[in-house]
Amino acid sequence: MFYVIFESTRSALISIFAHGLRSFLTTLGIVIGVASVIAVVSLTQGMSAFIGESFSSLGSNSLTIQSYTPIAEQMRGVRARLTPEDLELIERRGESIASITPILYANRTSQIRYAAQTTFSQIMGTTYAYSDVSQSYMLLGRFIAESDNLTRRRVAVIGEKVREDLALPENPVNEYVELGGEWFKIIGLLEPKGDIMGFNQDDIVLVPYSTMVSLQGNQARTDIQIQLSLSEDADVEDVTRQLTALLRNAHDLGPDEDDDFVINTAEQLMETFDTIINMVTLVIGGIVSISLLVGGIGIMNIMLVSVTERTREIGICKAVGAKRHHILAQFLIEAMLLSLLGGLIGLALGYGLGTAISSSIDSFPPASIPLWAIALALGFSGFVGVLFGILPAAKAANLDPIDALRYE
Amino acid sequence: MNSVDESAAAKDAGEDSVLIRMQDIRKHYEMGSQIVRALDGISVEIGRGDWVSFIGSSGSGKSTFLNILGCLDRPSGGEYFLNGVYVEELGANQLAEIRNREIGFIFQSFNLLPRATALGNVMQPLVYRRISYRRRKEMAMEALRRVRLDDRMDHLPNQLSGGQRQRVAIARALVTEPSILLADEPTGNLDSRTGAEIMQLFDQLHREGQTLILVTHEEDVAGLGDRVIELLDGKIIRDRRAGEPLH
Repeated sequence: MFYVIFESTRSALISIFAHGLRSFLTTLGIVIGVASVIAVVSLTQGMSAFIGESFSSLGSNSLTIQSYTPIAEQMRGVRARLTPEDLELIERRGESIASITPILYANRTSQIRYAAQTTFSQIMGTTYAYSDVSQSYMLLGRFIAESDNLTRRRVAVIGEKVREDLALPENPVNEYVELGGEWFKIIGLLEPKGDIMGFNQDDIVLVPYSTMVSLQGNQARTDIQIQLSLSEDADVEDVTRQLTALLRNAHDLGPDEDDDFVINTAEQLMETFDTIINMVTLVIGGIVSISLLVGGIGIMNIMLVSVTERTREIGICKAVGAKRHHILAQFLIEAMLLSLLGGLIGLALGYGLGTAISSSIDSFPPASIPLWAIALALGFSGFVGVLFGILPAAKAANLDPIDALRYE
Repeated sequence: MNSVDESAAAKDAGEDSVLIRMQDIRKHYEMGSQIVRALDGISVEIGRGDWVSFIGSSGSGKSTFLNILGCLDRPSGGEYFLNGVYVEELGANQLAEIRNREIGFIFQSFNLLPRATALGNVMQPLVYRRISYRRRKEMAMEALRRVRLDDRMDHLPNQLSGGQRQRVAIARALVTEPSILLADEPTGNLDSRTGAEIMQLFDQLHREGQTLILVTHEEDVAGLGDRVIELLDGKIIRDRRAGEPLH
């Protein structure tokens, strides 16, 4: 068996390279098919890897707790809230929490002004722990300190996007900006983080939490967000469960009532994006693999022509002792090799294409090909070769030696 | 023609000396409603080392006979023993093996593989014998040496003259050391001088003990063998020693 395969491969290679151009054109369909599959997969996988990295920059073991009111409840004027008391409760009783910070979003206006420039940004009141929880680091100046909160100091830390929008100097520290009718001194500029799925992480203004509370006129109905990061060995699921129990108890929820808050983990978000991307990969990959079938039909066509063309040769081989399986193996292996060679060329081309696309579009992450895609592409093109090689090969193998020898 | 007594005597003399025994071989084709009797009761025995020529005009059934003799086709009736093997019972693959082992074909139009060199063509039958590439090459070179073509081994068929191509074909037939060399009009596509050279080569092979069967329509080619068998309308009409007068 091995001997037959080896000898058939030898003669198939001779035949493929004897008709170089024709072989290339024959396998072009496979080349294009595999190239597009690989390009698509490498781009989406590159994106997936990139998103994974982005989310780990959010802090992979961080949790966000928000109040949550179903729309039906909202219509009835009910609003669920997370209060500073909830924060205190979690600080006191929560397990394996490394740092915790409240976030209070500016609810009246998110307008910010510097000299003649005005812009809208995401303005949040928070504490020194935010830096740790959200993995934000300083480019210039300092972060909000505990004393800033204690004394309700009017200071702000801004992101790079805000600095650009307000045409602030390269070093904006010690400049003053106007927020909600008050003047804030800029004490720090955050290290740029870039985009996640169109959301600019640098379009941000941070002020001390207590300052923000006072800015909102000490509203009794403050609804805050709580962000916390967990210690290294903590199990996110366990902590989520414990916090849920804690908050349900604090909010006096009965066993048949739904949570009036949601706990999001960065991991959950990442999984959601991963699922979406995998779906996209599958769908596009599926569409593109139809082109592989078309390529296979091209191979079958040429193999059929080739069998007719070589009828006499087949007759000669049969006359000198070729058995059915010798001829079958020869043509089948020729079809498979054609297809596989096309697959290899397509692989290289597709990777090149993916890399070219991802590097020519700035915000696109670098392409990466997972091993399974390579195996799949080659396996599939080999399979296409066998599938569409069977008919011509069987035709060749079943030729009658006398008729074949007589063929002109 | 061999009588039943004679064939029985030959059997007694020993199976080994008889290479081919055909008994009442028939080949009928249906062409529409008509039945064409291409071969109609051929009985013949050919011994080891014989040089037998079959002669007949076109339509005499000699091509059909050659196909059956060469195990390319099976008869519709009769018995055919080749080297002690009852050929009728064999399947397509076993026939292929018989062709590979027992028969060396030489065709009028040479039938070389156009994309293979002389050496490659001669090596081809050995591919079906599971012989290593190196050993195949040695054997093919030896066969080409026997037909004095060892200086043209790397040439493609279209780079060779007609006589050289036929010698490649003979080398290909010889390389498997078959029991029979089966030549179909071997000089038909050659000019008379090259034809004579090829016949000389056959003569040499015959003297080396090779069994030769020639199918031809040329009397002077047929006359070079030991024995001439004339076919007409699918029957043997004459079986004579070469050199005997025709009428």
